[in-house]
Amino acid sequence: MSGQIAFWILSAIAVLGALVAVRKRNLIHGVFALMIFFAALSGLFLLLLAEFIAAVQVLVYIGAVGILLLFAIMLTERVAGDDGRRMTSRGWFWGLVVAAAVFVILLLPAIQQWPTPQATLTPDPSVEELGKKLMNPYVVTLEVLALLLTAALIGAVTAAQGVRMPNEEDSPE
Amino acid sequence: MTLHHYLILAAVLFCIGLMGAFTRRNAIVVLFSVEIMLNAANLNFIAFWRYSENPALLHGPLFTLFAIAVAAAEVAVGLALVIAVYRHFKTVDLESMDTLREE
Repeated sequence: MSGQIAFWILSAIAVLGALVAVRKRNLIHGVFALMIFFAALSGLFLLLLAEFIAAVQVLVYIGAVGILLLFAIMLTERVAGDDGRRMTSRGWFWGLVVAAAVFVILLLPAIQQWPTPQATLTPDPSVEELGKKLMNPYVVTLEVLALLLTAALIGAVTAAQGVRMPNEEDSPE
Repeated sequence: MTLHHYLILAAVLFCIGLMGAFTRRNAIVVLFSVEIMLNAANLNFIAFWRYSENPALLHGPLFTLFAIAVAAAEVAVGLALVIAVYRHFKTVDLESMDTLREE
């Protein structure tokens, strides 16, 4: 019973946070709404007994991604967002139509009343098991992922640094 | 709580993200929206795992872990690209970046 109440509260927070993050004109407020959305999702992971994923969600999304987004906003536009100018893109109406159509398509299987599977077994979500799985059958995936993260790190630094012309270094800025 | 509750919630969140990606002009808000969609997909993975026949295999959390790592790499590269584009165009408005459009 308390699980149900927690589910409804957390899903309301998640939906509201996502809506505010997407619709807010002020980008800093949007990032904080996004962080609330991430926190609510972490709570939902806890409800589903995925404790480690909930912890990773807090560490990676609220910690790293949120701060990264804040820095990117401060490095680029005026913080208050696109003041005065139009907030939505030119084809916003068709964007809304396509999003609604995708929503209906995603809901169709739920409307068709397929038998709902019950959670019979309670999983053992210990970090120890997860670590063993990562080391035994999934070790290649883990290594490829490490390579991907390294490549992304180098690529991000290179892309953000920009191309520097050889004669540009002498010119005073 | 049944599996359907979680699936419908994930569908709602995914479509909010899709709406944001389609209707906003700010490149950083489009990145937010992509993050929201990725998180909705992760919620689906975990929900299916919890209601699966054999949750001891831990397929859901492992897949979600890999998805989170790839998403983190994506955000880092995406924001670096946004900053590079900002340096070039002096804006993050997606509609002013139309150099490739036929005049």
